[in-house]
Amino acid sequence: MMSWPFRIIGFLFWYAKEFITSNVTVTAEVLRPRRRAKMRPAIVAVPAASRSDSEWTMISSLITLTPGTLTITISKEHKILYVHGMFVENRGQLVAEIQEMEDRMLRAMRRAPGDLTRPTELPVVRPMDEAGESR
Amino acid sequence: MTLADIADILGLVFIFLGIATIIISAIGLFKLPDLYLRASAVGTSAGLGVASIVLGALLMDFSGLNLVKAIIAIIAQLLTSAVGSMAIARAGYLNNALPAPITHIDELALTRREVSGGR
Repeated sequence: MMSWPFRIIGFLFWYAKEFITSNVTVTAEVLRPRRRAKMRPAIVAVPAASRSDSEWTMISSLITLTPGTLTITISKEHKILYVHGMFVENRGQLVAEIQEMEDRMLRAMRRAPGDLTRPTELPVVRPMDEAGESR
Repeated sequence: MTLADIADILGLVFIFLGIATIIISAIGLFKLPDLYLRASAVGTSAGLGVASIVLGALLMDFSGLNLVKAIIAIIAQLLTSAVGSMAIARAGYLNNALPAPITHIDELALTRREVSGGR
């Protein structure tokens, strides 16, 4: 395992690469004629390993910053990120992509990576009755 | 060719790349079917488009102070554009801007209450 400052630099380079490739794919998709479109949008609940507020803010901003993926909302109590993806073949693919980014980010943000476990089962989320906070 | 000439040409290239990105994302605004896909398309102009224009301007007029200004400008632009698109997407979802039918999975729909007619 690399030491902390190197993990930060490594993450920045990895993220820059992801940022540029996703920009290129989204730009190519816009330019592609409609009948050959590869777009497969989906909104997926991704279990997350973030704990502190700053980690939640960072991961959701980083997801939104790469074009093609967009955080719509988070549920801290269920530890879930609701992510809209532009090219999603199946649920697992987007979940794996987001979780890889989160793993790398947490290893860069935390001095010691600590616990990276995620809830394995999706919780049953019910809508709140009246205009509650997690609406 | 001096170093300044090369930096000038590189700067122009970056500025034109940025302009092209912004124009293409504007086409995406018209072409894509729903709010969330459009927000993704605009993300390319707000992120890469603006960043590469700032980088190009920096290369054409390089100095230590400008370097600091450019770094601050790019970081602030990236952060605010990310927060802005999340706020727009969330507001859209809460106001019943449903994703286009092409969206094949929608797990956020499980958290919605039944929508009763146009609200």
